[in-house]
Amino acid sequence: MPTFKLDGKAIPFEAGDTIIRAAYKHGIEIPHYCWHPGLSAPANCRMCLVEILPKPGQRPLTLDILALDPQSGEYTVKQKPKLQPACYIAAAEGMEVAANSSEHVRQARHDVQEYLLLNHPVDCPICDQSGECKLQDYWLEYQKTPKRMTDEPVHKPKAVVFGPTIVYDAERCVMCTRCIRFMSEVAKDPVLDMRERGNLNEIVVAPGRELDGHYTFMTEHVCPVGALTTKDFRFKARVWFLRTAASVCQGCATGCNAHLDYDPRYNKAYRYRPRDNEAVNKYWMCDDGMLTYKEAHDGRIVGASVGGAASSMAKALATARSLFAGVAPASVAIVLSARHSLEDNWAMLHFATVLLGTQNVYFSRRPDGYNDQILIHADKNSNTRGVMQLAPGAKQLRALVDDVGARRITHAIVLGGDAPVDASALATANVVAIAAHEGPLTQIASVVLPATSWAEHAGMYVNAKGLRQTAERALLPLGASRPAYEQIADLAVALGFARPASKLSQIRTQLAAGVGTDPVSRRGSALVV
Amino acid sequence: MEALDLELDAGELELPAEPMHLNMGPSHPAMHGTVRIVLELSGETIVKADVQIGYLHRGFEKMCERGTWAQVFPYVDRLNYVSPMLNNVGYALAVEKLCGLSVPDRCQWYRMALGELARISDHLTCDGAMAMELGAFTPFLWFVKAREMVWDILEEETGARLTHSFGRIGGMAEPPTPDFKGLCRAGLPKILDLVEEGERMLLRNRIFLDRLENVGAISRADAIALGWTGPCLRATGVPYDIRKAHPYLKYDEVDFDVPVGTKGDTLDRFLVRLGEIRQSKRIIEQVLERMPDEGPLNCDDPRVVLPDKMAVYTTIEATIQHFKLIMEGARVPSGEVYSYTEGGNGELGYYLVSDGSGTPYRVRIRPPCFQITGGLSKILEGRMLSDIVPTFGSLNMIGGECDH
Amino acid sequence: MSQLVLEKLRQRFGTAILETHAHFGDDTAVVDAGMWRTVGQFLCDDPDLDFDMPIDLCGVDYPERVPRMEVVLHLYSIAKAHRVRLKTRVGDADMAGAELDSLVSIWPGLDWLEREVFDMSGVRFRGHPDLRRILMYPEFEGHPLQRTYPADKTQPLVAYRSEAEAGTPLEKLEPFGPDEGMPFGRGGLPRVAEDI
Repeated sequence: MPTFKLDGKAIPFEAGDTIIRAAYKHGIEIPHYCWHPGLSAPANCRMCLVEILPKPGQRPLTLDILALDPQSGEYTVKQKPKLQPACYIAAAEGMEVAANSSEHVRQARHDVQEYLLLNHPVDCPICDQSGECKLQDYWLEYQKTPKRMTDEPVHKPKAVVFGPTIVYDAERCVMCTRCIRFMSEVAKDPVLDMRERGNLNEIVVAPGRELDGHYTFMTEHVCPVGALTTKDFRFKARVWFLRTAASVCQGCATGCNAHLDYDPRYNKAYRYRPRDNEAVNKYWMCDDGMLTYKEAHDGRIVGASVGGAASSMAKALATARSLFAGVAPASVAIVLSARHSLEDNWAMLHFATVLLGTQNVYFSRRPDGYNDQILIHADKNSNTRGVMQLAPGAKQLRALVDDVGARRITHAIVLGGDAPVDASALATANVVAIAAHEGPLTQIASVVLPATSWAEHAGMYVNAKGLRQTAERALLPLGASRPAYEQIADLAVALGFARPASKLSQIRTQLAAGVGTDPVSRRGSALVV
Repeated sequence: MEALDLELDAGELELPAEPMHLNMGPSHPAMHGTVRIVLELSGETIVKADVQIGYLHRGFEKMCERGTWAQVFPYVDRLNYVSPMLNNVGYALAVEKLCGLSVPDRCQWYRMALGELARISDHLTCDGAMAMELGAFTPFLWFVKAREMVWDILEEETGARLTHSFGRIGGMAEPPTPDFKGLCRAGLPKILDLVEEGERMLLRNRIFLDRLENVGAISRADAIALGWTGPCLRATGVPYDIRKAHPYLKYDEVDFDVPVGTKGDTLDRFLVRLGEIRQSKRIIEQVLERMPDEGPLNCDDPRVVLPDKMAVYTTIEATIQHFKLIMEGARVPSGEVYSYTEGGNGELGYYLVSDGSGTPYRVRIRPPCFQITGGLSKILEGRMLSDIVPTFGSLNMIGGECDH
Repeated sequence: MSQLVLEKLRQRFGTAILETHAHFGDDTAVVDAGMWRTVGQFLCDDPDLDFDMPIDLCGVDYPERVPRMEVVLHLYSIAKAHRVRLKTRVGDADMAGAELDSLVSIWPGLDWLEREVFDMSGVRFRGHPDLRRILMYPEFEGHPLQRTYPADKTQPLVAYRSEAEAGTPLEKLEPFGPDEGMPFGRGGLPRVAEDI
């Protein structure tokens, strides 16, 4: 693999990589604002300037400058090497780049940072980006000097509502154009553009339009400063109190990798951020997916219920036992859930086929919805493929409705509450539901046991492309909920069977590598872009 | 009737006896800062003394790992809480050693002056309390009056009498008040007058001297092997004072002597402390001469020192600096360092381990009186019960420091 | 700092000295745990080194590393006015095998310090005359300065108290929630590996 030298260190690169991309892949950060690995490189922030040392025998590229001689107080013409933006220059074999080791580069970074902060408002205490802001980080690393400008900073519009989801603050904006390029290149809807010139620059939405669509949250994600904020997250939480878990979005079958940020003091999830994964979602997530973090708390079942009334686990299990007493396995159905993890579904399947001895396996899912060519999949369930691979013969829920109507099935144990069809007919059967969220099936169930959502237990999900991905646990189980596989084990014991495997490690060993392709494909974003 | 014992053999009148166990403390007027001594007595003689500490353990070292480097200052204040400034300065010097910073001269003089004031306060408390426990209540109150004068100066400078939290990495929290030198110069002679009055009352008192002289003596070699430092070691005749042996700040530019004892007994420890008060006064007077009245107090490295508040409210750079230092903490380079200064009781050492972030990885406080109290059981063996009080008092065990 | 101490150690003990450095002017030597006592004795007895004063002994936990517990000894020589820091590493991930020879017979001042290292970090010292807890009470469970000891762990109340005697419920309230008051990269508590 060809290499070039960065500060004396050999960095391998692929043909066509720019210096900054090659360094990024190698884990070295060259400071930048406007560059993003998923977007084009406009080289307008000038923070990534590096010195490219001339080849031996080659004249260095220089600029004439007027340098102030401190002793004489006179300006003299001097030469300094012309620095190049690392985001734009392609790496070449044998190239020698000086970044941290060059005094000129250090001075350039200092000066660029100083210019960016010249008119920047003193908003840190109220700005949501505080704590994950590149301006803050780079000031401490590269500038470290106080403000020299004594004039009033330029004032621009603040809290401009761009659309239903995004609010813009022009004073904080550093005009990196990431948002413009994202909407144009990735979302394929060039609705943002820049207006005015010089230090009056600001971002505007095309006249007659709003910043709407399915990817508006990503403009906030790419914004390196607090100029773009989401109405959903602004002023909700301070990022330094948030811990993060590597999770998988449960919104659709794409299975975008995400960081679920939660506050451990209140055990509450506050937002998603996309997690980089070249194979699945590159660097992005859609708006609907970004908002699915709310499902960790909304519509949750956190306590057992019997006949719609809240109850204790013990009573619920006792009711289940009495409901299922003396029932033939042939008239018991189990329903798997395309929204629950592989472990949950496996535990249910194992309980049904091995312990109960029934072959009546169905599965249920959320109905299909909007899809596009960018990220959004029509299948709004995260684990459809996983369930299909675990139980290839599982029948659709429609068939269960028929079977119950024809009295072939009288009892059902249901995982999850979703139903793609009208399931009210199932009310005539005795249904025990183990679910995390309220849904049509939990409404008609006689006994409901609370399960943890995807955020509260580590689980594996197989996306539409067949990739098996793991979502780590973020929150502690809410209320009385416990992972579905534990609830199933308790139910099995209540129904008189030996306790099946109920620990994550046990289930994973038994699940083996048969389901889904590839082990966990996870790329943690070590560098904040 | 005849006397019963005339014809008995020597051993026959021995009554069966068991050693008596007596518990002193932890809640006891003479157990400075809660210490429990479980004594095995034979009559009045101490056969064995088990000194049990830990009643004031507050988990400082663990708590330091949960904050930033600057948030350790309130904790170190509460170590030797009768000379908190010395702890602050010691810790600040330790972090500055890790960062490779040196503070401006004005700050070094200021730290020395405040530190010596704290040392005076420490010795006044120790000697006064010793006297009080032996029944001499009046000199205690005189010494406390002198201590109040010291604390008045410190209150004027730092805002607090005892737990100042005044040290900062790279300097001090506030510059000296305009009247600092005047206050010190006015207060020191009065303090010394009170000390001399107390001395006159105590050091010619037969009872006082008898209770202290030759009591709780320890030899040089034993003291060194036990790790004793400070006035307790110097009382045995070892002239080891860190300010002379390994000068820090500007201690090599001031003249002072190191009072040294001869016998290592309680009286020597008492007298060494009184001598040190006078030497501290000498140091402070020289420092006040040398300390510039103007100039920067803190070093100007923005990576550790907080910016001026008005700048924080009006400029973004200062806001960012303030934000980074408070929220993330000053990022101290990774590595480990052991830094030591002369605290009130001896070598106050800080062993800091940094992982390069704003949170300390490990802050180990080497408390001088921990080692000293470790030797207590040794010097009490064979002594009488009533010797415990002056001996233990002379060691100046400060619960906060010993138990951290 | 003079190179004398580290040179003599390297010459005398060769490979038993695992690493040396003098960062920030502090001479430091890392010693193989089995040679702890021998090296200590040499440092005390050798006339050129003459380390007669034990300054400090403490434990520093590096749980991601095996062996995890680093025991750090600082020594000083009154006559020669030089210092050395001697370190060794003991204990695997569960602190099994965290044992060292006691140096109390060389420097009596280490008596209480070794008790403190045992109490706070869980390292046992073979040959210590009286190895029991010093800062914590005898019924305390765990070793607080290990990094895997969570700062919000509550200890059971002393056994003899009954609820009737105590007059309050014996279940202790958590002092504070997990991660409370710990913004930004402050290490955070190592997440206990749970099967969930």
